[in-house]
Amino acid sequence: MNSKDFIIHSLRENIKEHFPRPELKISHIVYHDKLKQFIEISAAVGGRAEILGEGETIDNAIRRIFPDASRIACNLPEVTCATYNPDHIETPTELNGTDLVICRGIFGVCENASVYFEQEYLQRSIYFISESLLMLLPKDQLVDTMHDAYQRVPNEHPGEFRGFMSGPSKTADIEQALVMGAHGPRQVTVLLI
Amino acid sequence: MSTTHSKAAKAFLSDKANAKWHDKTLYMVRTKRDRLSHAIPEWEELRNAAQNIKQYSNSHLPELIEEFEKNATANGCYVHYAKDAEEYRTIIERILRDHSVRKLVKSKSMLSEECHLNPYLIEKGYEVIESDLGERILQLLNANPSHIVMPAIHIKREIVGKLFEEKLGSEKGNSDPTYLTHQARKALRQDFLNADAGMTGGNFAVASTGEVIVCTNEGNADMGISCQKLNISAFGIDKIIPDLESLAIFTRLLARSATGQPITTYTSHIGRPRKGGEQHFIIVDNGRSKILGMPQHRKSMNCIRCGACMNTCPVYRRSGGYSYSYFIPGPIGINLGMLHNPQKHSGNVSACSLCLSCSNVCPAMIDLGEQIYVWRQKLDVFGQASSEKKLMSKGLQFLMERPYLFHSALKMAPIINKMPRFLLYNRLNAWGKDRELPQFAKQSFESWWKKNHQSKNN
Ligand code: SF4
Repeated sequence: MNSKDFIIHSLRENIKEHFPRPELKISHIVYHDKLKQFIEISAAVGGRAEILGEGETIDNAIRRIFPDASRIACNLPEVTCATYNPDHIETPTELNGTDLVICRGIFGVCENASVYFEQEYLQRSIYFISESLLMLLPKDQLVDTMHDAYQRVPNEHPGEFRGFMSGPSKTADIEQALVMGAHGPRQVTVLLI
Repeated sequence: MSTTHSKAAKAFLSDKANAKWHDKTLYMVRTKRDRLSHAIPEWEELRNAAQNIKQYSNSHLPELIEEFEKNATANGCYVHYAKDAEEYRTIIERILRDHSVRKLVKSKSMLSEECHLNPYLIEKGYEVIESDLGERILQLLNANPSHIVMPAIHIKREIVGKLFEEKLGSEKGNSDPTYLTHQARKALRQDFLNADAGMTGGNFAVASTGEVIVCTNEGNADMGISCQKLNISAFGIDKIIPDLESLAIFTRLLARSATGQPITTYTSHIGRPRKGGEQHFIIVDNGRSKILGMPQHRKSMNCIRCGACMNTCPVYRRSGGYSYSYFIPGPIGINLGMLHNPQKHSGNVSACSLCLSCSNVCPAMIDLGEQIYVWRQKLDVFGQASSEKKLMSKGLQFLMERPYLFHSALKMAPIINKMPRFLLYNRLNAWGKDRELPQFAKQSFESWWKKNHQSKNN
């Protein structure tokens, strides 16, 4: 008997009672001012969210928020201040040392300031390896909770990798002192456009 | 008469300042959890849903495993099965050998501790790098985790400073956590870039999509799976959940319960292999299917490893993770240890005051305290001395040996009068189920006596 059969057999032998599938109808919290909630909670998780200024271009906003970024990675046509397109690079090692990456978020979640994204770059590591990350997120794409969020996450998707990101990489492993920038970006800003 | 736990706790308590810090810090984490969970009106509904989903999935695993395998395979991943720890180790070693891997970078996985993966691989000549900061500190110190979420909670910054000075060449005498964290970031960045393979555990495995979900704050699992071409994620059969709708429930509960955050920084779905690379999943039993056949204990397989039961446990907070003989400490560890090897781990069963706080915070509604009570009734079978057992069944041995704790427990009692009824009389509180709790006096006798005694003296 191979190990899969062994495990399945053992499960069938041992499980005596079959519990029904629960109906998951949770009447969940609703935020009336979604933008305000999302911006507040972004700060609370150590990140930042702001609305693109009146008459401001995305390039202007990038320059304003990250004045010191010199190596900027982006493959989006609407961003012209990028210094290189990471899709033209073969290995994560060459991406190391990037100051800022700009990527697209699909929707945001008000209860926890997380943003759902699907891998749109060739190199998965660009989402984690840069010092700072800017997410472009349409401001009408905010949902209340993870229930609404996972309603919108498709079962089938063409990409390699996807997930949620909420604020910068962090750790409190030394004496519970909170430190930003454990392995991923030290600074994460969501630009609501 | 002492149990193995209380003997080991003495060593922890001998450093009074450290022991006090440990207690206070974990209580702070517990308080954060309270704040976050109380802000969600539907919290109890979520816990109920989590329990029901786990009971459903754990009793339908044969079907869900097939579904996961079908979808993961369609995504281009390899699915392996390990019936026990030995097979888990050999599958991983074989994958590494087949790809001529020399260096493996790992993110935190309790399963790899359970199955003693690192010593096995190191003995075979592989370089194994733990990338979670806490785990890395412990690996460099050659020590074990003392908590499942905050593995290095017992290590002070000065020790980390010295360690990094020696191993990573950091500044002499600098023990600032920010500085040290960034030193580790710099060193581990190189490890991520020059390793040959990456490995993670899994928080959830979603049958309907064939994805493994990894939740971290550091992003170390993500660096691993995105810098290496060869990736392995291994998880116990109990991590399998039906679908994304269920995943929503768990993502709302996990970080709030664990660290008092609304969600972890990263909730990563590992779906397809990297272009030109391979993604392997290993599904592990190692005794879990047998536990599912034990009606009194099968709920322990609902665990999502949030650590909330440790943070709230008055005995864990005051005795530290190393006082327990099983590698998972606290209420869930007492139970899992007994399920794993009761002869070896029965000494932990005394580390419980039966306050049932664990059962009331557990996001998956595991009846942790009640299960510990069940184990106590069976202690004779496992050869615990009977006089010891008598003490233990009173449930107060640990507190009795520490009068200052006992006093604070009594001082807390009047607070119960102010707690909302649903907290006291929810279905899990075995003492609240069939009868009203006695009303505690508004003021404890001890503080009344002190106050009156003092005012008389004045
Ligand atoms: S038993 Fe419950 S509280 Fe304890 S770690 Fe598991 S899920 Fe968390």
